[in-house]
Amino acid sequence: MKTEICIPGLGAGMAEGTITEWHIADGGEVKEGDILYTLESEKTALDVEAPVAGVLRQVGKAGEVYEVGAVVAFVES
Amino acid sequence: MATKEDLDIETLLEIYRRSMRVYKTDERFRQMLTSGKLRLVYYPVRGQEVLSAAMMAALNLDDYLVTTYRGVHDQVAKGIPLRDLWAEFTGKVTGTCKGKGGPMHITDPATGVMVTTGIVGAGLPIANGLALASQQSGDGRVTVVCFGDGASNIGAFHEALNLASLWKLPVIFLCQNNRYAEHTAYSAGTAAKQIIDRAPGYAMEAVRVDGNDPIAMHLVACEAVARARAGEGPTLIEAMTYRMLGHTFGADFSYVPAEMQEEAKQADPIPLFRALLAERGIDAATLEAIENAIGAELDEAVEHALSSPYPDVDELRIDVLKEEIAA
Repeated sequence: MKTEICIPGLGAGMAEGTITEWHIADGGEVKEGDILYTLESEKTALDVEAPVAGVLRQVGKAGEVYEVGAVVAFVES
Repeated sequence: MATKEDLDIETLLEIYRRSMRVYKTDERFRQMLTSGKLRLVYYPVRGQEVLSAAMMAALNLDDYLVTTYRGVHDQVAKGIPLRDLWAEFTGKVTGTCKGKGGPMHITDPATGVMVTTGIVGAGLPIANGLALASQQSGDGRVTVVCFGDGASNIGAFHEALNLASLWKLPVIFLCQNNRYAEHTAYSAGTAAKQIIDRAPGYAMEAVRVDGNDPIAMHLVACEAVARARAGEGPTLIEAMTYRMLGHTFGADFSYVPAEMQEEAKQADPIPLFRALLAERGIDAATLEAIENAIGAELDEAVEHALSSPYPDVDELRIDVLKEEIAA
């Protein structure tokens, strides 16, 4: 099963966010709750956790800006 | 002081069930936000589960609750059905306010959740109004109003405490002192050493309690409820707790010193509650069964919310004034 990892919308005015860093390499194994990447927006900085265990497939790149809702990774389980 | 033997195991398990309903609801909201499945401004209640559960377990279903936008723990602990709550949070027509109230205004009279306000301190005079109605009608209901330490510096707090005490209203002022008023540390915004220090000025009974201790908190709650029901007037409860996450979910939290974050972790009421229950002979399987049942209920509630429709545009004209507004 492929679980989409999307950019979360965390505030009323948040339209986009930047992936500042991936904490798990592409193709790496993750457990539920592992920190996948750090997201920064105007008012927030959040460590985004894996919702399920599996293998991480990165789509988004560190340093890039993405719209809220954009799929930036999959976890294959 | 309360001892561990002061509460029977059934009451403790009831408080635990309510605590876990809150814990799992809060956890699910954060998971849904993190995975991008939901978009809303969310005020996490991690760390404040047990105090709400211990308070609400002292009430009847038809007793009244007034709370704030950081109030999902109060609403869930009071007994609001999870599917109705989730539908309202997600703005769906199947929600408690047909999706028109949203998280800021969760209202469900069937479970006594009368008002959720988005204005800090605004709930206290409203609670007085509900309590006055109960006093006048003699319906025997008690009103609990929840607010934070910051709200105690709002004028309405002082006006409400004064009149409630003067009129001996059946109301309980539950200050959840989580040590931060949004981003302002308690000592940077409040001159009084403790919130209960305000009560003598209004000739009101007041008690400070460790809100993370289910037994101590519940006994204090029961005493306040008994006082209110007996017509002996209001109580100010200052329940000490910690807010374990930022003001809004995802917000920067670095302004809270590392030592305090560590202190909050040590005082995390959920593992402490589990240890207490283990001491009282409750096995892990019983707790797991409670959590699994809540998890299944949550799955159904979330699915129901996500699959429900948004309200029709025509709903804009309804529930605003007494009469429907013409199209």
